[in-house]
Amino acid sequence: MIVHHPSETTLLAYAAGTLPEALALVAATHITQCAACRRRLQGLQAVGGVLLDEMPPAAMSEGALDALLARADEPAAGLPPVLNADLPPPLDRVALGRWWPIGIGARWRPLQVGGSAWAGLVHAQPGRALPRHGHDGLELTCVLSGSFVDGTGLYAAGDVSEPEGDHDLPPVATDLEPCLCVIASEGMRLRGLLGWAQRMIGQ
Amino acid sequence: MTLDTPTPDDHAALIQAIAQRRDRAAFAALFRFFAPRVKAWMLRGGAGPAAAEELAQETMLAVWQKAALFDPGRAGASTWIFTIARNQRIDALRRERHPSTLMPDPLEEQESPVQADRVMAMAEQESRIRAAMAGLPAEQADVIRKAFFEDKVHAEIEKELGIPLGTVKSRLRLAMARLRAALGDLS
Repeated sequence: MIVHHPSETTLLAYAAGTLPEALALVAATHITQCAACRRRLQGLQAVGGVLLDEMPPAAMSEGALDALLARADEPAAGLPPVLNADLPPPLDRVALGRWWPIGIGARWRPLQVGGSAWAGLVHAQPGRALPRHGHDGLELTCVLSGSFVDGTGLYAAGDVSEPEGDHDLPPVATDLEPCLCVIASEGMRLRGLLGWAQRMIGQ
Repeated sequence: MTLDTPTPDDHAALIQAIAQRRDRAAFAALFRFFAPRVKAWMLRGGAGPAAAEELAQETMLAVWQKAALFDPGRAGASTWIFTIARNQRIDALRRERHPSTLMPDPLEEQESPVQADRVMAMAEQESRIRAAMAGLPAEQADVIRKAFFEDKVHAEIEKELGIPLGTVKSRLRLAMARLRAALGDLS
């Protein structure tokens, strides 16, 4: 059962469409699996709907409607193809780089996204620490399989960690099985080996 | 139906007429109300006049193409069109940088049967939010509007309003709490 959710302001930014793509992917991974957040998101999008209604209109150019009706038979744009069938949506349609070892029992694989934040998968063997990091912006982690603990609690599949300030205790994969997470951050500078890998691959 | 003062129910009926009959008159009515508002939203988000017009056109084209996916038990008409406009803007920003990562909408992925009471609830939802927004203190309504329409991170809102970031965040939290209360069981 999912117990850790993204914050209200993160969901608001997601609803408004202003969350950087990397962070939006992690949020969407959680939302797709979490009925409670789907309801929260729907409410926030309804606020967007009301604000749209109340927008003072800006006149469209002459003939805009006719130009559009002439295109009425165009097919709708489809979704991009599934690239990684082993990952949950929407990560299944995002291009991935290669795995990079980041110390003993952990590895890292970047997601190829644009924008002002970056994202990637982290895989840690049971009992191994996930990379430590400090924060100077929003960071989101969603557990895909296995679980980890840090100073704030236990995070299992579907849970989202949205830390405020630096971690005191590094996240550690629990002993039962390997832990796979998707992490995105807009300002995090990773320390240690992952920081090195990050610099090597130019993120 | 008077087009000058359309109600949310009218808009939902127009979308359904497009879905069922490819009704061009219904689409024209919807276009006259929403296209200039979507354009205004894009302008406020920083798009130039030509880009804002094009994004409004693409949004309305997607409304026409996706009308059959509109589920009045899941969202009101304005909410549905807002999410399409938002996604068009995201996609346009991404296409400039990165063509391969258009993201599906997690709400669109979900299967759920249409329930009559949900349809009523969604129709009511927008009017309850409208009333709650009108009842918010001006400075709280302002941070909500900026968060939605001006594509600003909190630090920029802080600069513009000349108030500390902590104040922006607490105003936003207060406003969200009031809106949540208005949404009640609906959200």
